[in-house]
Amino acid sequence: MKLAPFVSILVGVLAGGLLLASPAGAQPLDRAALIARMCGEAAAMGEAGTALAALAASGEEAERAWAAPLPRAAIDRTLACDEAGAVLTEGGLDALTRAPRAAQGTPRTPLLSLKNRPVYELADAAFTLRMAPSVSQRAAALKILERRPALIPAGLLEGAAQAETDAGLKAQIENLAQSAALNAADPALRRAAIARLTENPNRRTLTQLTGLKSDAAYATDAAFRQAVESGIAKVERGIALGDALATLYNGLSFASILFMAAIGLAIIFGLMGVINLAQGELIMIGAYVTWLVQQGLRSLAPGLLDWYLVLAIPFAFLVTAAIGIALEASLLRHLYKRPLMSLLATWAVSLFLMNLVRVLFGTQNLQFETPFYVTGGVPVIGDFIFTWNRMFAIAFAVVTLALTWAVVRKTPLGLNIRAVTQNRDMAACIGIPTRRVDMMAFGLGSGLAGLAGLALSPIYSVNPQMGQNFIIDAFMVVVLGGVGTIAGTVVAALGIGQINVLIEPLWGAVAAKVIVLLMIIGFLQWRPEGLFAVKGRRK
Amino acid sequence: MMPLSKDRPFLALLLALVGVALAMGLLAGTPFALSRYLANAIGQLAAFAVLALALDLIWGYLGILSLGHGLFFAVGGYVMAMYLLKHSFVVTGTVPDFLQFMGWKDFPFYWAGFEFFPYALFVAVAVTGLIAGIFGYVSFRSRVGGVYFAIITQALVYVAMLLMFRNDTGFGGNNGMTGFAVLFGWPMGTSGMITALAIASLLVLAGVLVGCRLLVGSRFGALMLATRDDETRLRTLGYETLRLKLGVWCLSALIAMCAGMLYVPQVGIINPRVLSPELSLEIAVWVAIGGRGHLAGAVIGALLVNAVKFWLSFAAPDIWPFILSGLIVLVVLVFPNGLMDLATFKLVRPMGPRRAAAALEEGR
Repeated sequence: MKLAPFVSILVGVLAGGLLLASPAGAQPLDRAALIARMCGEAAAMGEAGTALAALAASGEEAERAWAAPLPRAAIDRTLACDEAGAVLTEGGLDALTRAPRAAQGTPRTPLLSLKNRPVYELADAAFTLRMAPSVSQRAAALKILERRPALIPAGLLEGAAQAETDAGLKAQIENLAQSAALNAADPALRRAAIARLTENPNRRTLTQLTGLKSDAAYATDAAFRQAVESGIAKVERGIALGDALATLYNGLSFASILFMAAIGLAIIFGLMGVINLAQGELIMIGAYVTWLVQQGLRSLAPGLLDWYLVLAIPFAFLVTAAIGIALEASLLRHLYKRPLMSLLATWAVSLFLMNLVRVLFGTQNLQFETPFYVTGGVPVIGDFIFTWNRMFAIAFAVVTLALTWAVVRKTPLGLNIRAVTQNRDMAACIGIPTRRVDMMAFGLGSGLAGLAGLALSPIYSVNPQMGQNFIIDAFMVVVLGGVGTIAGTVVAALGIGQINVLIEPLWGAVAAKVIVLLMIIGFLQWRPEGLFAVKGRRK
Repeated sequence: MMPLSKDRPFLALLLALVGVALAMGLLAGTPFALSRYLANAIGQLAAFAVLALALDLIWGYLGILSLGHGLFFAVGGYVMAMYLLKHSFVVTGTVPDFLQFMGWKDFPFYWAGFEFFPYALFVAVAVTGLIAGIFGYVSFRSRVGGVYFAIITQALVYVAMLLMFRNDTGFGGNNGMTGFAVLFGWPMGTSGMITALAIASLLVLAGVLVGCRLLVGSRFGALMLATRDDETRLRTLGYETLRLKLGVWCLSALIAMCAGMLYVPQVGIINPRVLSPELSLEIAVWVAIGGRGHLAGAVIGALLVNAVKFWLSFAAPDIWPFILSGLIVLVVLVFPNGLMDLATFKLVRPMGPRRAAAALEEGR
């Protein structure tokens, strides 16, 4: 008698192994034999339980429907065995044929041994996971399965995941499938699971793989150890590559915002020697105009709502350009000989605009729709996700750069701007209307700030103070890049953006700003006129 | 430059400052004494006026606009706060809030010795001198000036603000430092202490005013004006302007530091807000409104603007930014010399073809 538990385990494991190796669905199921085994000794019951679990994993639809109530009946002891087979006492159905009948003679309700109980519970959970109608029941069943990943029959989770309609639960099932395969009994299966894991390197798979180092097989099985180690190495490489790409990508998107904020400043500064402290507020107003366009579309043409970011482009540009032209014509025109006073004047404008918006719209962040073209992203490698909202900013900056270059290089206005930038008096002498050029250039610079506000509205929070966050970085871009050169602004924006993003993970955002500032001060020692100074007389 | 004995606005202002200080001292304790709030407000205004003088010295007389003078103000303020906290800790044993907040058992090592005021003063002077010296040297050596200099100083103060907002620096983080109990062994918050601080601020203001007046009235002052008006010519004539600019810049930073040391015990708190670019810009606004290049104007501008701000922050806090921006626009367009234009009725026609403003051209 003492041998019985051992035998039962042995038989159970053997049967389990056999069933795992050869899917039960391949052979016709002997239902009567299964019922007989469920009514048999402990060893036979264990065998039956494993067979039921395998059935849940890979049986046909009809077989599964037939077998589903059996494990629960065995657990709840509502299975009555008699001479003619067995009866499900709950409902009074024959276990084999499901015809109504009562138990004959003195029925015996088999008791599950401690060893068998988990097997039956698992089988029951497996059936529930695949067949229960409600998501919460399936989720509860998944919880039970999670406790014994080693017992889960092959194919169960894959099948369940395929049929699962709830996205969240589906992801959970797939997760469990991965870790179940990692903990499978068969070493080949485990190695295959490791290989599959490494195809998608990220931090989660790394923790899963490093967890395997404490596995017993790691010490004993050389092939397994090698698989784990090469897997870890591959995942680490993937993560490092992904992190590097993510840093570059974030730096690029920050640089494009910086560029858009600074290009208007640089044009105005190069032309008139005026730093527009209200540039940040023009960016903010660009974002608010974008929001207004979105609200307008929402009430007038809801079908076009998704395209508000594109439709707002002319509005954001024209509104901020108009503000800029008004500012130039009413205020800055009188201050060209007094650049330091123009700093104060533009600060007054910035204060005014910021508080005006605060009074009109309140201080809270604006709520923006996220259209499909700035939602989500493509996971590339490691933890690097190629997000569309950042891509939008980058693409927007590239287009802006191209257009600005075209305006400055290819249009009569651009020619005039360049002439006045190089030598105002000489340009005036040959008949260029310098005041008009100033005004138009100021409008252009301000409009570019408005576009910057539009481009950053899907990424950053939009509120009356938002301009302050960009303005000082934008100054630094202008100082570093040099006066009035587009190339200088691009290079300086890229440099400052990348350095900020590179230093940030090492020492934090504040240190990044400190270091960038010190580098700029140091740089000015070497080139006081900036990176790409226009050759000419020093002003 | 007008001889001191004939500079009547200046003498009147000086007399008024000393007179108010004297009156406050004599009336203290009598029923005619000023209310605690008013005395405190006068003291704070005086500290701001000292700050305005510091900026006027370099902007008005040297043509260098700093949009980062809040940095030196903050150095003085922080050092004073450190002295006050350490001194209060030694006298009364109260542990500062920020130590408890950070869960630290003891003061960081660099707080050692701050319970001695002379040492604290020495540290304040040394730190201010070091920052101003190094920054001024590298900037003036590469002849960074004008708008460039202004926005780099603004970036400097902005970065300092970000730095002080961090809680792990040991300077109170974003909550700043407060809870000062004792100053020079005397309890703070009594009306006697408030009056004494206000009088001290007024006297320091008067002293700085006289000192600056003597400086700009001297031969050195003439050189400063020459540097402001045409530095290239002065250099061609053989003057080394680097040392001159550096010296005045450091002096100005030290005056701003003094203002910070006067300000903090009166307001009872210091936090990184004093490092915000807005405050540093506002200093320039006080000077511009009062009259750039006039010492008395800077003082009057600081006193007036801040008095209105004190009053409006109770009466109508929302409209203050609009009033301030309107004032700035008015000053830069109509009164290029601020209130000094108003004093001499030298109104400028803002849209006229030959604006008197052109007389005030600045070198870039």
